[in-house]
Amino acid sequence: MPDFSPTQYAVPLFVVAVLAEMLWARLRRPEAYEPMDTLVSLAFGLGSTVAGALFGGLALYVFIQTYEYRLFDFGAEWWTVWWAWPLCFVLDDLKYYWVHRAGHRIRWMWASHVNHHSSQHYNLSTALRQSWTGAFTFGFLFAVPLVLLGFHPVMIAICGGFNLIYQFWIHTEAIDRMPRWFEAVMNTPSHHRVHHATNPRYLDRNYAGVFIVWDKMFGTFEQERKDETIRYGIIKQLGSFDLLWSVFHEWIGMLADIWRSPWKHKLSYLLREPGWTHDGSRETSDMIRERWRARLGEEQPQPESVAPRNPIAGRGEAA
Amino acid sequence: MEIHPLLVQSGASSLAILALYGLARFLGLGGKPTLSDQDRLRAVADEVDSGFSIDQQAVDRSGTGALVKDAGGRIMVIKRHGNHFAGRILSKGAKVREEVDALVVDCGEARFGRVRLSIDNPASWADAINRL
Repeated sequence: MPDFSPTQYAVPLFVVAVLAEMLWARLRRPEAYEPMDTLVSLAFGLGSTVAGALFGGLALYVFIQTYEYRLFDFGAEWWTVWWAWPLCFVLDDLKYYWVHRAGHRIRWMWASHVNHHSSQHYNLSTALRQSWTGAFTFGFLFAVPLVLLGFHPVMIAICGGFNLIYQFWIHTEAIDRMPRWFEAVMNTPSHHRVHHATNPRYLDRNYAGVFIVWDKMFGTFEQERKDETIRYGIIKQLGSFDLLWSVFHEWIGMLADIWRSPWKHKLSYLLREPGWTHDGSRETSDMIRERWRARLGEEQPQPESVAPRNPIAGRGEAA
Repeated sequence: MEIHPLLVQSGASSLAILALYGLARFLGLGGKPTLSDQDRLRAVADEVDSGFSIDQQAVDRSGTGALVKDAGGRIMVIKRHGNHFAGRILSKGAKVREEVDALVVDCGEARFGRVRLSIDNPASWADAINRL
């Protein structure tokens, strides 16, 4: 069985790339980096690795148990089945799209994923701003169908590692647009800048990991516009470089909401979208967008024409 | 004595992190933007609360923070955070203290911190915050 963690090997590459982008920033856009922000982002990355090593055991246990009930068997030497690798990579990326979408639309998942979005900057160090608390969500369950199909947990982990490495380079403002064919199929810096934006137009868009086609298929794609300056971060910017507060602020906020709310609403604070409140005192991303559209007198945009026959894309607003 | 690989990796990563932080400082990255122009102030207020329309404003003399008010009487405090800005709409729990030539605004969030503003006419702003 292969004993290989692609992300471990990629760490030196990450460091060199951040270094190179800093030099680019020095020459072209010194404001693209801020030392304290960079320090917090990189500390997030280190903490995330440690947290993964400490708390990743439960997911591994579930996957290994589930693997016993697989529908298809690739054999004892499953890693030699060459076509299983690209297939696993594509299906894992589809899984990533949904787990990522859930990460933005379910507050329990957002409590963890918000870490990745909490910087007001968008540079390669932001890519390393990974959550410490992913193991305390149910995100790993999205991979169970892949295990049941017969993909070995190690194969899924390796494909997931390459997926994460791919996503590193797209966290940059140094690259404007890639060639048209590439932008059409792959996730790119342009598409992912949209994802990290807090502009109402861009909220909860472009969830893709590697292939942007998932967003086009499921109605969540938004093209970056030249005429609109992107603001990065979260709706309620932290205004603090306190690392522990940055890690746990949304967990604390969510638990406080659950504690304070009437019994019949408690579960909603866990499972509904971020910003939802039972008394309407805060706004969800959909509410912010609607208010913005009303202000601009914009009509409801038509779904992207890339998937005219897709029944999901056609039904109003994507979650 | 055998050192756990995770410790070795964490130690090496910590050194790399500190080196990159030091390099960012050495290269002078970041900058210190101010709220001296109206367009930036408007953009920051809109970032804090989408659609916030400034009716009255009091920008700190150094440009590092501001108080802005919309037509509905909502008051927002803005502070510089790194080389960006962050802000909060003040609610009933907000506290304000007058100092010599300055106002110290506490939005009620400990981690956001108090914002010290050297502004014109601080008393009227303090009064407005106290009336929220």
